This record gives sequence, structure tokens and C-alpha cells, in this order.
Amino acid sequence: MRALWGTMRAELVGAGGVVERNAYLTRRYIWWDIAWFIWTVANTLTIVFIAKGVESSGVEFDVNQYMTYLLIGAVVWAYLGVLFGFLMETVAWERWEGTIEYTFMAPLSRAMHLAGQGVFAIVYGIVRAVFLFGVCALFFSLSMPDANFLAALVVLAVASISFIGIGIMTSVLPLISPEKGTQLGFIAQGTLLVVSGVYYPVSVLPGWMQFLAKFSPATYALEGIRGAIIDGEGLSRMGDEIGPLLLIGAVSIPLGLWVFRRGELYAKRHGKLKRSG
Amino acid sequence: MTEPAVHVDALLKVFDVPEREAGLLAATKGLVRRKTRAVRAVDEISFSIEPGEVVGFLGPNGAGKTTTLKMLSGLLYPSGGEALVLGHVPSKRQRAFLSRITLVMGNRNQLQWDLPALDSYELNRAIYRIPREQFGAMRDELVELLDIGDLVRKPVRNLSLGERMKAEIVGALLHRPQVLFLDEPTIGLDVTMQKRIRAFVADYNARYGATVLLTSHYMADVEALCKRVVVIHHGRILYDGPLTGLADQFAAYKTIGVALENGNADLSQYGEVIHREGDWITLRVPKADTSSVTARLLTEEQVLDLNVEDPPIEDVIELVFAQEKPE
Repeated sequence: MRALWGTMRAELVGAGGVVERNAYLTRRYIWWDIAWFIWTVANTLTIVFIAKGVESSGVEFDVNQYMTYLLIGAVVWAYLGVLFGFLMETVAWERWEGTIEYTFMAPLSRAMHLAGQGVFAIVYGIVRAVFLFGVCALFFSLSMPDANFLAALVVLAVASISFIGIGIMTSVLPLISPEKGTQLGFIAQGTLLVVSGVYYPVSVLPGWMQFLAKFSPATYALEGIRGAIIDGEGLSRMGDEIGPLLLIGAVSIPLGLWVFRRGELYAKRHGKLKRSG
Repeated sequence: MTEPAVHVDALLKVFDVPEREAGLLAATKGLVRRKTRAVRAVDEISFSIEPGEVVGFLGPNGAGKTTTLKMLSGLLYPSGGEALVLGHVPSKRQRAFLSRITLVMGNRNQLQWDLPALDSYELNRAIYRIPREQFGAMRDELVELLDIGDLVRKPVRNLSLGERMKAEIVGALLHRPQVLFLDEPTIGLDVTMQKRIRAFVADYNARYGATVLLTSHYMADVEALCKRVVVIHHGRILYDGPLTGLADQFAAYKTIGVALENGNADLSQYGEVIHREGDWITLRVPKADTSSVTARLLTEEQVLDLNVEDPPIEDVIELVFAQEKPE
């Protein structure tokens, strides 16, 4: 038991090292991050302005609610982009930096290596999402009298487990295809975007797409967060969202690790574990 | 009897290399049916290295050196055969194995380009679970030995090639590995820096009894560090033995240096004159004729001084590499 705890502690220290390295890199590139954040704010404002555009055409609806609806979609989408970005970089960035052989030679289990990447991505992504939401909400002076922000954050955190699982699966693509793997990862992101109701209700999709939406954690995350912020729902009324999120997370994390392990084996058999650029 | 630090038995690595003819038609055909060719990058090689031994691993580009080192570090899975490093199968990635070896590649980096080396060392401390006290002592010792002082506080991109290589070596040795795979660690460095790194490797080997497998295109590295060399070419081992024995096996000639009272004498009857500097003349003679030519020179000419040597190691290696691929 003591040996097991010792091993676990050591693994956690290793994962902490990966988190620490990401923190150093973020500090190093802080101005780029700020520039990217400004771009994301501009992009989000563009999306939220769609509600204003529809209002100007004479259609009568609750414009404040619709703007909040779009804002939540844009923020969750940006958050998902951060998570996927970090996990894709697990391989792609290291390949570019030329450090990939050393990272894969280090005595750190792959699960802890990816956990270190994932934990940093979640913390960084949530901080960024909170700022993005706040800036845009202030810009439009959105009114959210019933909002339960704590519940929204909890839903986002729970959804992150599933996102990380899917992200791990996509991060293997640059491992097995050094040239085009990163681009292939965008297919997974794009699929989630179209079926999960990021900017529209899932109910407007064709039947087969609604079926696919059931397997996307983003669907439940968006429903849960919108319920918490727009309708003020608490966690006790979110079983229909949190339950599937936990279930998808419980499946996607081990599946993601298994897929990554297979990809690593493939790369080591075919000599693809090397730098590019 | 001690267990070898590195044991390789019939180790094989085959890569499927895609190949096609030039042209649009061939490119289109390749989309449907991709032609590949099996290349035996490492072809059933066998050798053992004892603990504390420093062995040179020589071969021209594409001979299979880096592929072998990657298999020994667990970065590549062998297609066949067996490799054991410190009693572990490298491809199994056991912690006890990974935390006792290191691989330094002269044309790769483990340090993050935009961060000071110190930050990357911290990551190694966490990953290799080096106690803080031991980490600090080892880091300071290595920094002092390699004389890089405050350079480790600068972003790696601001360092010269030689400085970066030294910083890389510090990072690779922080966990005090017992087996060092050094893949051209002095590549591109100036002569002074090469010497310093050579001296450092020798010092590390002496201090910690580490086993070293070194590849280098610079024969000075090999001559300074390795008593034994393994020569690989076309994926196969051509020679495994003492560095001094390499010339015996591969060089078909020796050189005779001779100084005569009559410095202008014509010595072409004794062998090929390959160099003449002042009174000193260097002859190349077939190995089998060395003693008879020496005897003739001593009796027929007024010799002031004479020596018989193997050809320079660079020339011997060139002869080895010039060999055709065995069928």
C-alpha cells in the first residue's frame, strides 16, 4: 500500500512538472496569449452581434436572452478550442520544437503526461473563458438576473473530463501522421461544432445529426450552462446533463488513453517519433 | 561475472519505405496502391558492452547507428532480435530503465527553445524524481564542469551551438544516468568545444563508472575516448574490437616514415611516396612487405631515422566505409 502511494505520489509530481512547464511557456508567450485573447473577443462579439442584426430586421424576440445564448455558445466553443489545442500540442508542438524524443523517453507514464497537459489546459481555459464571458457581457451590458454562475462553472469542469478524453484521441493524430495529423484533428472539433448546438438548438438539426449530438459532451455542456446562466437552474436539476457528461467522461478518458497508447506503439514501430521542421 | 550493461542479439529493424516513379501518373497510381520497399536499417547485429566501458559506434550516414541507439533507448521497437540495457527490455519503458539511461543527440534538443535551460531542468527534476538537494548539487556540479555558469539563465535560443550543446548535456545527465547513448554530441562544434566535451565525457565516465556508447564522425572524439569500436555499415557490423586493431583488419598497407642523409634520394622503388617534407619522406607499402622494405631501407640507404605506423584512423575508416554492401 505504501509502495503504491509512493508510486502515485511520484507520478503526480511528474504530472505537476508538465503543468509547471506549461506555466513557464504561457508566461513566456503572455503577449501572444493576450493578442489571441483580443482576437477571440472580437470573434465572439461578431457572433453575438448576429442577435442585434436579427433584431434590426424587425423580428420580435428577447434579444438579451438570445445574445446570452450566443455568447455562451461562443465562449464554450473557444474553451473547447483551448483544450483541444493544448492536447494536440502534446505531440505537434514537441515535434516542432524537436523535444519529442526526449519527452517520450522520460520516465513518466503516458497517463500522467497527458493528465499534466489536460489539467493545465482546463485551468488556463477556464480562466480565459471567464474573462471572455465577462468582457463580452459587459460590452453588451447583458442582463443575467437569474444566473447561477457557480453551477455553470461546475458543468464546464465536469464536461472538461469528456473533452479531455476526446482531445487525447485527437492528439494521437499528429503522432501517426506527422505531416497532416494536426489538420485531421480539426475534423473532430468541427464535428462537435456542427452537431452540439453551439449557436442553435439541437432540435433544428436533421434527425441523424440529432442522434450524433447525443454522443457529444458539448451538447450537454451547452444545455447545462445555458440552463444555469439563462434560467438560473441549480445542479440539483441538472441530472440530465451531468449524468451523460460523467458517463461520456468515464468512457472517453480510458478510451483516449488506449487510443494514444496504440498510436504511440504505431509511431515507435514505424519510426515516426521524430522532429519535423 | 558481471552482467553486460548493454546486450544486443540479432537486433533487426526493417522499415517499409514508400517508393514511386516520378510523374503525375505514378502519383495517381500511388493513391490507390502504395508501393513500399523493405529496408533493413539494422540487420541482425549483436554486441555487448560491459559496465563502465566507453565504446565508439562508427559508421557512415545511414549506416544504422541512430536507429540502433533509438532502439536501445526504447524510442523504436525492433522488428526482431533482442536488446537488453541494464537488464531491461528498452521497448517496455520500465521506469527503472528510463531513469538510468540518457540519449544525447547532437542535432536534437530536449531544452525548450524559448525558456532558460534552468526551467527545463526543473521539468527533468520532477519527471526523474530527483530529490531537490541532489538535483541542486548535480546541476551545479555539471554547470561547473562544463563551465556554462549563468548561461543556463538565458533563453536557449540566445545560446551559441556549443553553449546549447553543453546546456543539453547538463539536462541529460541531471538524473545521473548509468548508460549514456551519445549520438554525435560534438557535431558542428569548434575544436576547442569538442575537446571540452570529450574531456567532460571522460571525466563523467571516470567519476560515475558510466557506460558510454558514442557515435561521432570526428575520429578525434573516438581516439580520445574509446578503446573499443563497433563499426556498422549497411546495417551490419563489420568490426567489433580494439580501436588499434581496426587498421590490422582493414588497412592493406602501413606507412614508413624515413629521414635520410641524402634527403633528395628517390625512394619510389620501396613503395609509394605519399609525402615529402624536408628530409622526412613518408612511404606507403603493402602490409605484408613492411618488414622486408624496412630491412632494405636500413641496408641500402643511409637512414638517420625511421618509423613504421598504421595509416591514420580517418583513412582506415574511409577504407571500411568504402566497402560494398554484402549480399
